[in-house]
Amino acid sequence: MSDISTIPADLGLAEEWQSLNGSQWLAPESLDVRRMVSAMLARGARFITITAMQLPEDEATRLDYHWDLDGQVLTFTIKTADKVVPSICDLCPAADWIEREVHEYFAVEFEGRQYEPLLLREGESVGVLVPEEDA
Amino acid sequence: MSYRIPMGPYHPALEEPYKLNLICEGERVRDAELRVGFNFRGIEYLAERRNFIQVIALMERVCGICSNVHTLSVCQALERLAEIEPPPRALYIRVIIAELERLHSHILWAGIAGKVMGFKTMFMTCFLLREKVMEALEIISGNRVNYAMNRVGGVNRDIADPNSVLAVVDFLEREVNRVIIPVFASNRTLLERCAGVGVLTQKQAKAYGVVGPVARASGLPQDIRRAAPYAAYGEMKFEIPVETGGDVRARLLVRALETVESCRILRQALTSLPEGDWWGPTEEVEVPAGTAISRVEGPRGEVLYSVTADGENDTPRRVKVRTPTYINMPSIRLMMQGARLADAPLIQASIDPCYSCTDR
Repeated sequence: MSDISTIPADLGLAEEWQSLNGSQWLAPESLDVRRMVSAMLARGARFITITAMQLPEDEATRLDYHWDLDGQVLTFTIKTADKVVPSICDLCPAADWIEREVHEYFAVEFEGRQYEPLLLREGESVGVLVPEEDA
Repeated sequence: MSYRIPMGPYHPALEEPYKLNLICEGERVRDAELRVGFNFRGIEYLAERRNFIQVIALMERVCGICSNVHTLSVCQALERLAEIEPPPRALYIRVIIAELERLHSHILWAGIAGKVMGFKTMFMTCFLLREKVMEALEIISGNRVNYAMNRVGGVNRDIADPNSVLAVVDFLEREVNRVIIPVFASNRTLLERCAGVGVLTQKQAKAYGVVGPVARASGLPQDIRRAAPYAAYGEMKFEIPVETGGDVRARLLVRALETVESCRILRQALTSLPEGDWWGPTEEVEVPAGTAISRVEGPRGEVLYSVTADGENDTPRRVKVRTPTYINMPSIRLMMQGARLADAPLIQASIDPCYSCTDR
């Protein structure tokens, strides 16, 4: 089992991992997503997916980046109010379809990449999972 | 000069909607573009509008082949949120159903692969074997497809007569070792058709994050049953078949060897089924606020569920599903590059794609 305790410091974060419901979570105030991806890949972690969720209380979108490191699920959580975050798919090809899905479901813009329709068809409006009152 | 061949949206091998635009030069595929979404049903959207019990039934409909892994994943996530530990007998029954599901899925796929290769005898042999598994599932659950076995904190039905299932396992193990393994390991026609076709290197497999038999056929020994054991897998002894060829043959062989390991797990679980209750809590389960992640090794690989509850409503705030085909499918593009056009249907089929899982 890999030692994950040094990951926050490697990323320049003051926060520590929290063990919640059987997996490890890190929810920093701010996170350099691309630096996080490079650090996780360097440790041999496998990218699993991103869970996106609209937060009604502050109208932000929450993005959970899930990784597998030696069987442990490690999740980095960020919030974005303007729905713009850097793309990671040039660093991690596994994220390509994941980002496209999050874009179509929650209208999140991943900076630095092009989109092609994935689950929706050409010309259809993105943000199909954004609650109607927030759309 | 290159030209484009649209293939789909109906899959030439699996009769499911999915489109591939092949950019060819002569008989060689230079590149491929994938199009999915023809089965998009908005299941994650629907899940936010159903109560927790209805969500279990809804998620069972994500996939017709691996329906059990979806209910198992969502129940495990809810159990983590509610801090419920199912009784030991229920955990063993979950392993038994999961392995029967893996068996019928892998044998189904072996038959389809035989059909795609023009090996119709293999197709018929496999479907005959698969029928035995389907009968066992029907005897246990009352259903051939959506078994409705999982509930929060337990299972819905007991396995009252483990010996009857054991007889099916004995038969399958004998036939898999007698027919399927020798054919997939050494049949000359099959090797000619599959060896060196649709290669996904270990480096590519890692970069694309592929899972399940696709990863294991490219030399990555990952399996959630071993890496993060759930249900009663921590008590089971089994091998994880790994091949390094990364080609269609390796993917065939890994699945064939996994059927033997499934029989081995089933034998252990059926002969040491703990006594006691299997239904879990009988009162209504309160789901507190929070997010829980659950992973299961489905027949096609790791399934991840992230379930978020607000602690106030009986509907989830969010149910996220990452299915194995969803993460495996982009790698088809790499497998296609440089392949013969005639191999395109077989290469697509070799990841054992599930379009219902992908599109949800």
